[in-house]
Amino acid sequence: MVSFAAPETQDDTLADWTSPSRASRAWRDLVEGFKRNWLWTALAFQDIKLRYRGSVLGPFWLTISTLVMVVAMGFIYAHLFHTNARAYMPYLSLGLIVWQLISSLITEGCQTFLASEAVIQQVPIPFSIHAYRVVYRNLFVFAHNLVIVPLGIVVFGIPIDWHVIEVPLGAAALAVNGVWIAIFLGIVSARFRDIAPIVASFLQVAFFLTPVFWPIDALGAYKWIAEFNPLFAAIDVIRAPLIGVPVATYSWLVIAVTTAIGCTVTFVFFARYRGRIAYWI
Amino acid sequence: MAFARLRDVSVEFPIYSGGSRSLKKMVLHTTTQGNIGKDAKDRITVLALSDIDLDIRHGDRLALIGANGAGKSTLLKVLAGIYEPTRGQVQSSGRVSALLTSSVGLNPDATGRENIITRGMYMDVHPRDMRGHIDEIADFTELGYYIDMPVRTYSSGMVIRLCFAVATAFPPEILLMDEWLAAGDAGFLAKARRRMEAFVSGSSILVLASHLLPMLHEWCNRAVLLDQGRIVAAGAVDEVAHRYLVASGQVEARELAPASV
Repeated sequence: MVSFAAPETQDDTLADWTSPSRASRAWRDLVEGFKRNWLWTALAFQDIKLRYRGSVLGPFWLTISTLVMVVAMGFIYAHLFHTNARAYMPYLSLGLIVWQLISSLITEGCQTFLASEAVIQQVPIPFSIHAYRVVYRNLFVFAHNLVIVPLGIVVFGIPIDWHVIEVPLGAAALAVNGVWIAIFLGIVSARFRDIAPIVASFLQVAFFLTPVFWPIDALGAYKWIAEFNPLFAAIDVIRAPLIGVPVATYSWLVIAVTTAIGCTVTFVFFARYRGRIAYWI
Repeated sequence: MAFARLRDVSVEFPIYSGGSRSLKKMVLHTTTQGNIGKDAKDRITVLALSDIDLDIRHGDRLALIGANGAGKSTLLKVLAGIYEPTRGQVQSSGRVSALLTSSVGLNPDATGRENIITRGMYMDVHPRDMRGHIDEIADFTELGYYIDMPVRTYSSGMVIRLCFAVATAFPPEILLMDEWLAAGDAGFLAKARRRMEAFVSGSSILVLASHLLPMLHEWCNRAVLLDQGRIVAAGAVDEVAHRYLVASGQVEARELAPASV
């Protein structure tokens, strides 16, 4: 083997070559990526723009399809669950809106790195940027859906009090969880290509198991099953204040625990496998 | 001062042959130790780069020579910071611009102009700062009206022009190019070379991987010969290119030998 090292650098002490630990590189990736917020916000806007190029209503199509679903399901399910439509429709529509955010964060989270393959193979930028982009894009769509909320509050005469401050807190918690989900699922699905379909079918089941469109009290003695479901907790903290009912007892606790565990596990995972992402995609 | 230093750099590539990429096989492998497990364990790793020691200093215009699969593109990706080496250390300083694959992450549905802005953003250039350069880039590409058309409608030559123009719009300190660039036509190559000479005139680094020895002669002042992931020769372009020809020639000669007996 021929060495092509310059002679004068041969006696470089190895001390100069100690590279930062995996954990500190992963941390720097997250911080540097976040600092380039103009990049991931612009990329997210571009995604939306391209997705709806040639469409007149753009992301509002989602809002409309939610509205259609709510009106269609509202009467029948209100009857099925023996509640009145006036109370059920706001419950259903907010449940669906938040569920759409959660489910798109999870499904698109599987594509975090796979969808950016061309970029990752070409320019070295912090990996976290791709995750922030996914989360920001979905929050942007979520914001479009929320425009029907004030309308609903007026139409259904919902009493709004100071508890409404829980809504932005809940959205912030969802954003933080979205980041770890996008990184974690992004890495796992880059390595194992069958994660995305597994996650998709899991989500379908979870939709029916989570009180999105059915009232949690219908569970009776088994209410705790739903109360400790993080997906319900995420919906609850945003939905409850907007329909004028108190947030369930354990929702914030469940969110705090989920966030802490998710972030910790993902950080360890990210530190360990960050360097392999480019090889896997 | 731009530089890049590699010490004992090795890159091992996992090859997930068909099914071993699936979770099922992985799970079966961990739960059963029998035949199915073996099936899942057919994980081949290819040693794409092996114990590379390399110093690249400012003013170097380094040619990477080697047969297909010798490790040229992998070495470029390590230099670009895209691949984290499995073993060894990489140190570099200087703004890197890499033209590694012809797709370059261009969005086929966006226009040339939009892609210029996006590519600039990936290179950490704010769209605000990029706007002033778009016309200059558009001029260089000679794309004319096509600059406002979706990239989907471009010929491959036009894509190459666009990518090169953007990658060099802000003179990089380290420019890494893979051989696909050679697919450009003669007029474009001459223009590209003039532009590169402007900034590779002493303080910058160019690393170019190619099979086209005449092009390497013209563009480079040093060369390394890669063979199966190892550096087997290093020095002036002439000598290294000669060794490459001899090496590939010898293989041919041996194959021909029995026939002539």
